[in-house]
Amino acid sequence: MAVRSGGFVGKVLRVDLSTGKIGTEDTLERYGALLGGAGIGYRVLWDEVPAGTGPFDPANKLVFAAGVLVGTSVPCNGRTTITTIFPTCWPRPLVGSGHMGGHFAAKLKYAGYDALIVEGKAERPVWLMIRDAHVEIRDAGHLWGTGIRRTTLELSQEMGPDCVVAAIGQAGENQAPMGMVVNSVSHSAGGVGGVMGGKNLKAVAVQGSGAVRIAGDKGAWEALVKFHLSLLGGNNQHVVPSFPTPQAEYYNPASRWIGQPGKRWGAAKPPVEITGALRDPNRIAYRTNSAAYFLGDEAWKYTVRGNGCTACPIRCHTMLKVPSVTTKYGIPDTAQNTCVALMFGRSFFTQLAGKKNSETAIEACMVGMHLADDVGLWSNYGQLQRDLRKLYEGGYLKARLGSKEYASIPWDKYDNADPAFLLDLIPRIANRQGELGEVLSRGTGAIFDHWSIPETEWAKDHTTTYWKMGHPKHHANEDDGQCGVIINTQYNRDAQCHSHTNFVRNGLPLAVQKKLAAAIWGSPDALDAPGDYTPANVHKARRAKWSLLRKELHDALGVCNWMGPWAASPLQERGYAGDDSLESKFLSLATGQTVDREGLDRAAERIFTLHRALTIRDMGQVNMRAEHDLVPPWIFEDQNGAAPFTKGSIRMDPADIARAMDFYYEVMGWDKDTGAPGKARYAELGLADVGDTLAAAKLTPETGK
Amino acid sequence: MSEADEDDLARAALETVREASAAMCLIAADEILERLLAKGFAERLQTTPEADPCLRLAAVLSGLPGIASFESLSGRTVYHDPALLSRTYARILDHKDAPELLLAAEIRSNSRDYTRPLPVELFEKTPFDLAPETIEAALKALSCGQEFQDITSLTTAAGAVYLFSTRYLKRGYAVFLAEQDASLTMNP
Repeated sequence: MAVRSGGFVGKVLRVDLSTGKIGTEDTLERYGALLGGAGIGYRVLWDEVPAGTGPFDPANKLVFAAGVLVGTSVPCNGRTTITTIFPTCWPRPLVGSGHMGGHFAAKLKYAGYDALIVEGKAERPVWLMIRDAHVEIRDAGHLWGTGIRRTTLELSQEMGPDCVVAAIGQAGENQAPMGMVVNSVSHSAGGVGGVMGGKNLKAVAVQGSGAVRIAGDKGAWEALVKFHLSLLGGNNQHVVPSFPTPQAEYYNPASRWIGQPGKRWGAAKPPVEITGALRDPNRIAYRTNSAAYFLGDEAWKYTVRGNGCTACPIRCHTMLKVPSVTTKYGIPDTAQNTCVALMFGRSFFTQLAGKKNSETAIEACMVGMHLADDVGLWSNYGQLQRDLRKLYEGGYLKARLGSKEYASIPWDKYDNADPAFLLDLIPRIANRQGELGEVLSRGTGAIFDHWSIPETEWAKDHTTTYWKMGHPKHHANEDDGQCGVIINTQYNRDAQCHSHTNFVRNGLPLAVQKKLAAAIWGSPDALDAPGDYTPANVHKARRAKWSLLRKELHDALGVCNWMGPWAASPLQERGYAGDDSLESKFLSLATGQTVDREGLDRAAERIFTLHRALTIRDMGQVNMRAEHDLVPPWIFEDQNGAAPFTKGSIRMDPADIARAMDFYYEVMGWDKDTGAPGKARYAELGLADVGDTLAAAKLTPETGK
Repeated sequence: MSEADEDDLARAALETVREASAAMCLIAADEILERLLAKGFAERLQTTPEADPCLRLAAVLSGLPGIASFESLSGRTVYHDPALLSRTYARILDHKDAPELLLAAEIRSNSRDYTRPLPVELFEKTPFDLAPETIEAALKALSCGQEFQDITSLTTAAGAVYLFSTRYLKRGYAVFLAEQDASLTMNP
């Protein structure tokens, strides 16, 4: 793709921490066909990181990549994808990406870089200073051992207030696989913090004074941005409000569009009362309040504002001020986050998990956010919390931990759902202290390895939501039947895909959803109502493929797959249709090179297929169907004994799932027996060199059977 | 009456309905007539001494583009512009003073159209704003009414109460949907 004129800023920055060498390379020459984000990351790993490289080996690389649309005015463009050999992938580390919002990606592009490749290992702790073309590796001895908040503050004071700092805390320094990197204080990417720590890299701080050029017609660009804004709903593209409004034909009490006139950001000074018509694009930010959605209406009074990422009007990152936590727990009274990270603290406690309008639960969330975002500890999509609960409640810890260590843990606080328990637990994990801290710092796979607990004890237990490879399900059959199952088989960590669930949960009546499905995926049978599943069909497989490719595409463009795709909209006059070709329209205008929806989806398929190739290469295994694309036994069970396809059950049928995978491999153009692409498929996608290499290693279906 | 006069009248009628919808009100023909008369449209509505202005207005209203009407609980035909006041919201407004009917209508439409049971606490929130005791009384009244025997409730494992219509949702599926709805915040 010849796209030199806009979108891309043109250079990839490469820093070798072993040698101190800093250089740049042309983005488009090597990575143009892979756009950005994980596309660049996968290519670097394919070309430069040999199979068998461990996550903490100096030979492993960390690729911080923005996307082509990052730094423009496209809504929701603040995503950075960090690709590496992912340390929590079990039983062997394989390629994976952490994703963070915030403002790091835009700053990196304003500094002139589409991506940053970090390689080697520094002899001593360092941080990386990027000020446009001026890049330096600086000593971080004074920062090592400090939390993310202090590191961010110190580097911001040193560089100036307009820098963005991405840093690790103690978890990352200690090379905990569960370490995360955090930019802008609270925007985190899981699993990659320890890899940074392994390189002795404490932080990357970026200042950029440049801009991202839009090559196409500026009027058309502005009109497209306005059109896109008109299609936005609330958080996760829920396109109907949670309550009836005069302007909306539909509503859904479960919608994340919960803001409405009369609600107040009660902790703002002065408090802000929501007024006016929230369908107005200028008032989109009032629709979402993640804290009130997840923690209950009580959270409105603690709300300071909605915060968020570059150019995102949704503002899902709710800032809370809860004065009681300072006196009770000695922590700052203000914190901000969204989704799982917002609930980090509450979710450890069985009594508080999911509990709304509970002061204790809100305080637990505050303590959890404060600690996790400072020590840089990831939750693995809540698996850390579910693991602790199962380990404790199942008696595993009492049986396995030494009595001295067991007695040193304040279980009385845990039993009483006292948030103060977290003041002991979270630093214990970040510092890898004792057996419990060490095991939990390594992720779920370490539980199986260290304590010789069979993986099946987690995989058979629906309450763990464990899926495979050390990771949980991420919107699987409970949301979307076979489509969700297919998506959850494909990655080496939790799927992180929201393309499918954002559509299923958008709040429109099933009949409207089916009408939209027919237009996009060729049949109303491409989706079912949750828990009212019909047998697998090719349309569901097409939707699974679409969902996966849009996720990869969003990572490559730097737009948010938590908010997109925009397949539906709040607009009754459009029959609630969104626009499935928004991404290609934006990219065409940004670069000045026209690409249609199909062309761009093909680029996404190229990226996704490269992920598949890396997985095949590093597993040394072509039979992905048998060895990789696995599902846990719990999806084939129902707690009430209901048969598959019973209305009100999410139980799947093994033969039907096998058929669903057949359909999926077919629409991907992969070999049905192995679930692997053939040489010809790689070549069709512009990955002939990849196909040749795998064929030579007998890792294509033709050579490896 | 000239074509221009006809157009003026239609425009004024349309504007009147839209003004009411924008103010979140349903408006009946006699109220529209009153406002049009106040605006000086008497002559154009009563072209002959024996002509009934109500009939004349009804003819005008039936031709208005994009305007919806339905028979309200009071038996009167009421008008609204769905772009400003949706059918759903119009129905809620119409049932505002009849909590039993309001609950039954919302529960049935949600069970039928989406399909889903509704958390009982929804009715405590805007725009319903019903007190818990009013909801309780309304549900009790519904349970006694022969024509509302399809309206029923369930309680999730965590104790949340949901309402649904057995006319459109079987209990087993309603229970599944309610449990799923109640657990959504732990499945982000």
